[in-house]
Amino acid sequence: MKRFLSVILALSLFLSLAVVSAHAEDITLDVIIAQYGPNTQEWFLGAGMDGSNFVAKFEEANPGIKLNLEVVSWNDLYTVVSTRISNNNAPDILNIDVFADYANEGLLMPVSEYCPEELFNDFFPQFIEQSNIDGTVWAVPDLASARALFYNEDLLKEAGVDKVPETWAELEDASQAILDAFGGEVYPWGVDMTTDEGQAAFAYYTWGNNGGFVDENGEWILNSDANVEAIEYAIGLVNKGFTNPNPATQTRYDLQDMFAAGKMAMLIAPNQLPTYIIDKEGTVVPGTAALPHNEGAGSSSVGVMDRIMAFKDESAPDQAARNEAIGKFLTFFYDPANYVGWVSMEGFLPAVNSAVGALVEADPSFQAWLDVLGGAKFYPTTKAEWNDVKQGVIEVEQQALTGGNVKELLDALQAKITGK
Amino acid sequence: MRSVFVRHRWEPYLWILPSILLMLVFVVFPIGIVFRLAFSHISRAGVVGGFIGLKNFQDAVSSAAFPQVMLNTAVWVVSVVGLSTLIGFICAMVLNQPFRGRKIARSIMVFPWAASLVIQASVWNYIIKMEYGNLNNILLNLGFLQDPVNWRASYQIEFIWECAIGIIVTIPFVTFTVLSGLQSIDASYYEAATVDGAGFWKKLRHVTIPLVKPSLTVSTVLNIIYVFNSFPIIYTITKGAPANKTDTMVTYLYMLAFYDQRKGPATALSVIGFVILCIASGCYMLITMRKEENL
Repeated sequence: MKRFLSVILALSLFLSLAVVSAHAEDITLDVIIAQYGPNTQEWFLGAGMDGSNFVAKFEEANPGIKLNLEVVSWNDLYTVVSTRISNNNAPDILNIDVFADYANEGLLMPVSEYCPEELFNDFFPQFIEQSNIDGTVWAVPDLASARALFYNEDLLKEAGVDKVPETWAELEDASQAILDAFGGEVYPWGVDMTTDEGQAAFAYYTWGNNGGFVDENGEWILNSDANVEAIEYAIGLVNKGFTNPNPATQTRYDLQDMFAAGKMAMLIAPNQLPTYIIDKEGTVVPGTAALPHNEGAGSSSVGVMDRIMAFKDESAPDQAARNEAIGKFLTFFYDPANYVGWVSMEGFLPAVNSAVGALVEADPSFQAWLDVLGGAKFYPTTKAEWNDVKQGVIEVEQQALTGGNVKELLDALQAKITGK
Repeated sequence: MRSVFVRHRWEPYLWILPSILLMLVFVVFPIGIVFRLAFSHISRAGVVGGFIGLKNFQDAVSSAAFPQVMLNTAVWVVSVVGLSTLIGFICAMVLNQPFRGRKIARSIMVFPWAASLVIQASVWNYIIKMEYGNLNNILLNLGFLQDPVNWRASYQIEFIWECAIGIIVTIPFVTFTVLSGLQSIDASYYEAATVDGAGFWKKLRHVTIPLVKPSLTVSTVLNIIYVFNSFPIIYTITKGAPANKTDTMVTYLYMLAFYDQRKGPATALSVIGFVILCIASGCYMLITMRKEENL
């Protein structure tokens, strides 16, 4: 009998503990954050936020909400996310660049369901527009970067180039002058047509020729005459020997390394390039200018933006509480006290108005970049075909590099994408 | 008496049960999943839908890159396995001779095999770089070159580099498998052959090759499987660029699955690869089993 009683006692103790812990469990949010650099992990999970980290500070400020936060490298991010979706284990909050596939397949929650209005109104409206499909906003921007022409002033001067090229013709003249001055020692111009970011090259040249991915109605115009001319021009730069020798395998990071080492005179890169050069212990101090464009066309910068989105979870017992927790996460993340440190850590540009003041105060050059970003064009990431288009234009570039006919390749791509 | 008999019947199964369980969990189960996925619709985001028959296989085989990828895979497997077997065999013969420093030579031979493939591929990637590659630096400093040479001038040349690196990293494996075979040959065979007046080539043809044949078969078949599935060299050096022209089946299906987000055709391709390898290892098992019967 004694034994029986003690078993009952132990059992009831265990059960009561289980009940208590279920109460104390509250809400746990699975969060996946993209790794922007070596500091990302430290900031979120290590000691990179004034000796503490984001998770600890958030949980302290928001009792009842636990974060199961993972920082994943960009190389693995897509694989991790799609595997988790396949296993019905999507994260609650995801930080990534793309969103249209997730939204179109009904996996995401509209931002209006969890984002507090005050925070929503703080985002730059033109950024929010980039996540708007037919009137519903599916994600919020976490940061952005803008692309510009960077040049090595010393090399340009030594080659006798007085004026930083603004047009394509000037770019060719400058490249020829640099080639004449340095022979094979310095590449005049950098081109990245790798699977890493070849779509950026497509944007740089087609947007600089009044072409692009879509027309004003948002219809695909991949094989427009302007695009054909632009890509032929870019391939021509490679064939004339003005560029790095292997654009199909040399990524932007390879080019940035060459630039930092003084082996490349000009390239198009994001606004973080100066930070990157310092990290690589390079001594080149780059000058910046607008992207070169064709005669008669306007110059436009290329903006790149990443996003934060929330997945649906039908199994969550209390949907309202879950949405509120996600909102609290966003509010805490975008709080200028936290967000300013996050954005400036890797040299990115902010996505909310409230962070601008502090950032410009810390570094006045920020204002110029914000202006560039204000006029920047973005990839048509809201369109469902974007992923196929992105890979398609890279393949066109790589085929053209091995002698393919640009017009035929773009015609074929346009037909494949539009089904016509 | 009966109980002893019964115990003996189940006992062996009990002892192999853990390995069978492990194989079920880590080999059979994933293969089953891949087969199921190969016949299912998988959305870009990763949502697994219903059965769609052979659609994934049609998509995979009819893609523009498929013929080039299969050709590359054949060239890759035949050249890497063929040449590494030939060179590895010669190395094994040399290392089997008594000479000073043989032990050191043997350990040096293991190095490339002991280092991880990714590291080796990255190192080679730096060696053949035009801008600050070691190969150009050495040749420039020695005065053999006036200007740096672009060692990767076209994708054909890049693919040749990849095959060459594949051969270099595979040689040690062949060498050591063959060497173990050579060491097990009794010296008396050679003595008898010498007495009968056989020279080097006759001994090689009639004594060495027949007796190392089992080790050669093992190394060749394992090599075919390894090389067919080898991923790091090509992925590190070209990632299949430009436009899949340097892809083999494994790198291509990886890009298809994790870069293009087309998991359906990618799983179909991996099923095709699995079948090819099953046939290859089936042939191997047939050959070895026939040999055992002959013995």
